[in-house]
Amino acid sequence: MKKKQGRQLIELAVNGEAYELAEEPQVTLLEVLRNDLELTGTKESCGTGECGACTVLIDGEPVLSCLTLALDCRDLDILTIEGLAKGGDLTHVQEIFLERGAVQCGFCTPGVVLATTALLKATSRPTDYEIKKALEGHLCRCTGYNKIVEAIDKVLTDGYLVNE
Amino acid sequence: MHLPRFTYKKSDSLEETAQLLSRYDTGACLMAGGTELLPRMKYGLAMPEVLISMKRSPVSSPKIGSDGDLVLSPLMTLRAVEGSSLVRENAPLLSEAVGLVGSGEIRHMGTLGGNLCQETRCLYYNQSHSFQFKKPCFKRGGDICYSIPKGKECWAVFMGDIAPALYSLEAKVKIMSRDKTRIIPIEGLYRGDGKKPLILSPHEIIGEIFIPGSNGLRGSAFSKFSFRGGLEFAVLSVAAVLDMEDDGETCRSARITVGAVAAAPVRARCAEAGIEGKNISDRSLSEAVRQALDEIRPVPHHGQTSGFLKESLKVQIRHALSVAAGRVKKD
Amino acid sequence: MSELDYVGKRILRKDGPDKITGRAKYTMDMRLPGMLVGRILRSPCPHARILNIDTSRAEKLPGVKAVITANDTLGIKHAFVETPRYPPDQYALAANRVRYVGEEVAAVAAIDPYVAEEALHLIQVDYEEMPAVFDPIEAMRQDAPEIHPTHPKVKEPFKNIGGKTYSGWGDVETGFAQSDYMREDRFESHLRTHGYLETQVALASFEPAGKLNIWTSSQGPFIKREKLARTLGLPLSAVRVQMAYVGGAFGGKVDLYAHEFCAALLSMKAGLPVKIAATREEVFAAYRHGQPLIVEIKTGVKKDGTLLAQQIRVINNCGAYRGTGVVVIFLAWGFVMLPYRLPNLKYEGYAVYTNNPPRTAQRGHGAPQLRFALDSQLDMIAEELGMDPVEIRLKNARQPGEQLPNGDNVHNCGLVECIERAAEHTGFREKHLQNRSVGTTLDPLRRGIGIAVSSYHSGSLIYPNSSSAVVKMNDDGTLTLMTGAMDIGQGAETILSQIVAEEVQVPVDKIEVIAADTETTPVDIGSWISGNTYVTGNAAREAASVVRKKLLDLAAEELEASPEDLVLDNMRVYVAGSPGRALKYRDLFTASIRKRRGDPIIGEGHWRTMQDVPFHPSLATTKGRWSENYAFDAQVAEVEVNTETGMVRLVRAVTAHDCGFPINPLLVEGQIDGQISMALGHAFLEEVIMKDGRTLNPSWLDYHMPCIHNMAVSESIDVITETYDVGRSYRTKEVGEGLVSAILAAIANAIFNAIGVRLYSTPFTPEKILRGLGRIK
Repeated sequence: MKKKQGRQLIELAVNGEAYELAEEPQVTLLEVLRNDLELTGTKESCGTGECGACTVLIDGEPVLSCLTLALDCRDLDILTIEGLAKGGDLTHVQEIFLERGAVQCGFCTPGVVLATTALLKATSRPTDYEIKKALEGHLCRCTGYNKIVEAIDKVLTDGYLVNE
Repeated sequence: MHLPRFTYKKSDSLEETAQLLSRYDTGACLMAGGTELLPRMKYGLAMPEVLISMKRSPVSSPKIGSDGDLVLSPLMTLRAVEGSSLVRENAPLLSEAVGLVGSGEIRHMGTLGGNLCQETRCLYYNQSHSFQFKKPCFKRGGDICYSIPKGKECWAVFMGDIAPALYSLEAKVKIMSRDKTRIIPIEGLYRGDGKKPLILSPHEIIGEIFIPGSNGLRGSAFSKFSFRGGLEFAVLSVAAVLDMEDDGETCRSARITVGAVAAAPVRARCAEAGIEGKNISDRSLSEAVRQALDEIRPVPHHGQTSGFLKESLKVQIRHALSVAAGRVKKD
Repeated sequence: MSELDYVGKRILRKDGPDKITGRAKYTMDMRLPGMLVGRILRSPCPHARILNIDTSRAEKLPGVKAVITANDTLGIKHAFVETPRYPPDQYALAANRVRYVGEEVAAVAAIDPYVAEEALHLIQVDYEEMPAVFDPIEAMRQDAPEIHPTHPKVKEPFKNIGGKTYSGWGDVETGFAQSDYMREDRFESHLRTHGYLETQVALASFEPAGKLNIWTSSQGPFIKREKLARTLGLPLSAVRVQMAYVGGAFGGKVDLYAHEFCAALLSMKAGLPVKIAATREEVFAAYRHGQPLIVEIKTGVKKDGTLLAQQIRVINNCGAYRGTGVVVIFLAWGFVMLPYRLPNLKYEGYAVYTNNPPRTAQRGHGAPQLRFALDSQLDMIAEELGMDPVEIRLKNARQPGEQLPNGDNVHNCGLVECIERAAEHTGFREKHLQNRSVGTTLDPLRRGIGIAVSSYHSGSLIYPNSSSAVVKMNDDGTLTLMTGAMDIGQGAETILSQIVAEEVQVPVDKIEVIAADTETTPVDIGSWISGNTYVTGNAAREAASVVRKKLLDLAAEELEASPEDLVLDNMRVYVAGSPGRALKYRDLFTASIRKRRGDPIIGEGHWRTMQDVPFHPSLATTKGRWSENYAFDAQVAEVEVNTETGMVRLVRAVTAHDCGFPINPLLVEGQIDGQISMALGHAFLEEVIMKDGRTLNPSWLDYHMPCIHNMAVSESIDVITETYDVGRSYRTKEVGEGLVSAILAAIANAIFNAIGVRLYSTPFTPEKILRGLGRIK
């Protein structure tokens, strides 16, 4: 076994809460979220950046938490799926995803919802192609993507802006 | 999956990274975006003792240098490159290629330099070898190639999308280490050896990328052929640049680069020469395609046969050239 | 039929809020205090004798809490099928011999994954390699290496036969003699994975008092409990299998897997909870995928397209153990029998052992492979006879009330209407003719349209053969439904709640569901074999009916009215015509406690498909009844073929299906879309590439599961053949599996329509298209 470099202290904010944590260098943000903070809404389906299930938003941008070192998250603002609904009120994206049947087994859902949220924040009226480019890294086996796309289209026709 | 253990160093500048690399010698590795290195580490294909993270280090913005070159930092994320209007205006081919890399998240994380410095790939190599293909291949320090088991060669393929675009843009890269810097044409970055694709020594990193400005009519196109149209590496890719005479019809110079057919991107030089000085027409483009097929022999990779790759090469080169020709700005 | 309030409505899934907020706990998310990490050591050899396993160094490693090999087990074999003819053939941990790369040889439990993995490296296994065989045709040859002895009841001189199904009816020779046209073709399908996003994972906790608790990502807990108890030598009552949310399954999580057994045994040995989660790479390279079948068909027809006789041979590359290999060769027969009338059949199916990982059920379980072959060939026959693909299908399609050769009845079969409506909706006949007449144009994009049909059973007899449900009223008039059924994403809990809601008139959100716990919920067939809505649904309906009746009887007494005059509505009962004469359920609950000697209003219901038939049909001979409930569908594919790149795009998929009565159209659509996507992955993109028993593309990157760019337009037409009446049992049909099948053949037929290239094997890769077009020699 390789010798250990000790844990290092980091401060980061997850869903608006500040945390101080001591982590070993090889620990990923995904592991911090799931194991230390017990925010298990962020999923691992491959661990190698090929499925999008572990997507979280860092400073509003979608990133793969399985390929992000915890030590690289010092002082960053991280939003996970648990931080989206405020006080139990679902966001519009979340509501429409449910209404349109865009959730089945739900394992890809957190990543897809966060990537969609980030897209709609960055681009108020994304084209079909832009939607697909934003979600091309998110594998979903259950829905065939039809109802996911339908839900996003509905959010757009509602003229809803994600910035609130 | 989890990462093996390592010692973590944070670096905020390329100079500092060069210092650290030279201090730790061969045991250290630079990580910029992490999307290339970390999966390799999880699979046990890279085991650096020291990982030098440049994640979210300050990045200089793209600029036009005194000689008219577009100057890019290797630390720019692909997303930043894609979103840069300066890049779009001066090197639309690069914007196009960058937009086709990986997935949305990969582009948010991955960097230009990381994409250029990625390792060659092969189905047998890119896995963890905990119970499959345990006997090491050439690339893992052994003496077999599972993919093409004859001879002494590693047949892993360089699959990056950015390098072919930079070839066709005649880009240069600044290579730096603690003690010296040098500027070389992008072609010089690649050795053409599947086993060790990059010319860089363990102490060296890419410092800057220079893309010469175009002073005339130009049309360019990047064609990436993949099965799903996203998320994955190219089956093959073609980056075409057509520089035109002022008449807008005669080709002054052409650059056609093919990716994912060998251990480095390949220029179709005969095809380029054949098209130069000619009017762009169905006939001249078809002739160029024919010449390209004579000079490029795709290495069968990722389950695709050479017959299929040759046919695809034909279609994709033709497609890229047609699109590039259609984009020549005439005013 | 009165107006329905809950059934037939687009009611949102009950687990939606949990899932959309990240609150839903999957097995992967579960942790217990003191939990250890388990890892499995796998065979690097496709076929070898295990000479020795030395675990001593691993055991001494600090942090290692338990190491197990076959020596720590009772040596009890298990299998998906366990019958006198097909005795179990697999140890949970390999003993003496390994038969595929990835087979489980040892397992460790340690304090963290680093220690666990180092421990695996310290286990020394000495193998003596043996000759291996990977191709089923080679494995059947007499000189092939023997993986298991050929089944004693198979008389032909074939080697490595794990099972055989032989069946038929009529006399094929006579049928062929009467035929005006005959043809023989051979079709091959390939290896695909299920693509569940949550990898296989189990968490076992053995309590000092002797109870084993296990949570596992599965499709139903009861089969797991039975197999775990037996292989571990524990009383059934000492094993409790529970569910958490399941991140997809698609057939891949039915049978007992070694990681479940190992987590349990490691926990028993270490005295601490142990969790084993497979990596994605392990799922690809060492777990079970679907079944690649070779299908040989000889068919004879009359000039008018009437099918007269078929002789069919199916060869299943079954892998190193039987798995469901002997099930799929049985089911294949059924998929031949179902949609078209066929007077004469001779059927043979072989499950052939090879040194590949074993296989398991996969959505459609053989139907896609069979329908691809049968409906491709039917189009070829139509072409030869100058018939329209729709006409030849209508000519042979089963009609309502027809009896199948095995004695089953198709009852309200909507197949003819499905074919007609799918064809009409897509303008099939015109497009089909038009596409063919395009001839040589310069446009490299060609359009094609194709049609095919399928049928699938909705529940069949297989362990535990029955579903039951308990509905209990709570003090406030709300309900709790206890069911052994498992929501694997398809929406089982929502569907069952709707059924209960309709019977008792309690809103769906006032029904709490306790599901899939072997201890607290009644037995259920599980979310496989496509019986959930029908079998479990009827059990839940019966249980709810009991509650309904108790409420009505009591209310009649209290309100001094006849039960027939009472109306249930939103948790209250009133007298028809006098809404003022009403009682709330919560008051009836109190009244029942007081006046019915403490009865808290509980209803029990159970259901079994083929209620009067004691056994599952014979896997070997198909004798016996199979199912009482068949769903039918016709699917049309419109494709665009790029004749330069060879890429084919599924532009539009239209499904006309007879699913009986759709309980929740929103969830039905979700099932259809998902199956279209899975089928287009099957058709164009996905293949587990193997060489000499090793997997070359064990990742999402190199295994091309469809991404959002590959989405196809999916439209559906409900052909509703059944009604839903409160208080009456119903024949709601399956919708979760059958629709991956016809669309595959429809795509193949559409490709032919577009470019005149007939493909005999899946997947329809660009290379095959270009070869078909003569662009690659």
